[in-house]
Amino acid sequence: MAFNFDTHMDYEGQHFAEKLSHIIVVVFGVIGWVIGYINQQFSQTILVLGVGVLIAAIVTLPPWPMYRRKSLNWRKPRKEVTVDTTKTEQKEVVTTASKQKKKNK
Amino acid sequence: MHTFLTRGNALLTFTLSVLAGLTFFCFLSTALNAYSATANIDTVKVLVKNVPDYSAQKEKQDLGYLMFDLQADLNPLFNWNAKQLFIFLVAEYETTDNKLNQVVLWDKIIQRGENANLDMKNMNTNYYFWDDGNGLRGNPNVTLTLSWNVVPNAGTLSIIRGSGSHSFSFPNEYTNVRAQ
Repeated sequence: MAFNFDTHMDYEGQHFAEKLSHIIVVVFGVIGWVIGYINQQFSQTILVLGVGVLIAAIVTLPPWPMYRRKSLNWRKPRKEVTVDTTKTEQKEVVTTASKQKKKNK
Repeated sequence: MHTFLTRGNALLTFTLSVLAGLTFFCFLSTALNAYSATANIDTVKVLVKNVPDYSAQKEKQDLGYLMFDLQADLNPLFNWNAKQLFIFLVAEYETTDNKLNQVVLWDKIIQRGENANLDMKNMNTNYYFWDDGNGLRGNPNVTLTLSWNVVPNAGTLSIIRGSGSHSFSFPNEYTNVRAQ
């Protein structure tokens, strides 16, 4: 990914960001429709909608602090466990490789 | 929604859905529009010739020639769901061979913002007024009407015939081709 900074939001933050972006876009869409209808120019509707999208992008795309308040408390990894998993993984790799050889014969 | 790009993707796709909805409501707001108007048409000069149409066959056929005046205010037809008008002048007449003949003589595109209040004098037709036989000479009742397509941003391409028509008759003698 081209972005080096952390873009993580917690689960509730993700839900809130999606909801908020929908509300902003729909509200600007409705306002734009009314403006376009009054001035009889559909291009104005699209412009207002575009402004709404820009605002929604600024408000909901970056991981602002308000989306990161309820982060999950993960258990810290134990050293022994990590060593064990690497060993078992290596074993599995060996066994599957031998099975493949048998199949080929 | 867990990364910057998935949020951006969700936002754009949702925006497109909203835009489609707005366009549909724009169509609904003009769906019941009748797009009717009145056109005043008059003929200045009417001739009929008997010449071969080499694009069809070598036999001689009737070729009508006319100049017309047209006056119509089409500004009320434009709204936020009308991009342009395609207006065309149609001649209708009856012959012994065909109950109904329709020939498009002239057309014009009026885009939104252009002057749609037409006041035209001594206009020539854009297209030849060919009959498929000899039905024009002395024809007592040829009717000119103006019709238009309204080209929308979204919705149906409607064809509307304007109220107001002009009927005329062709002369009983052919005009010499050279004399005009």
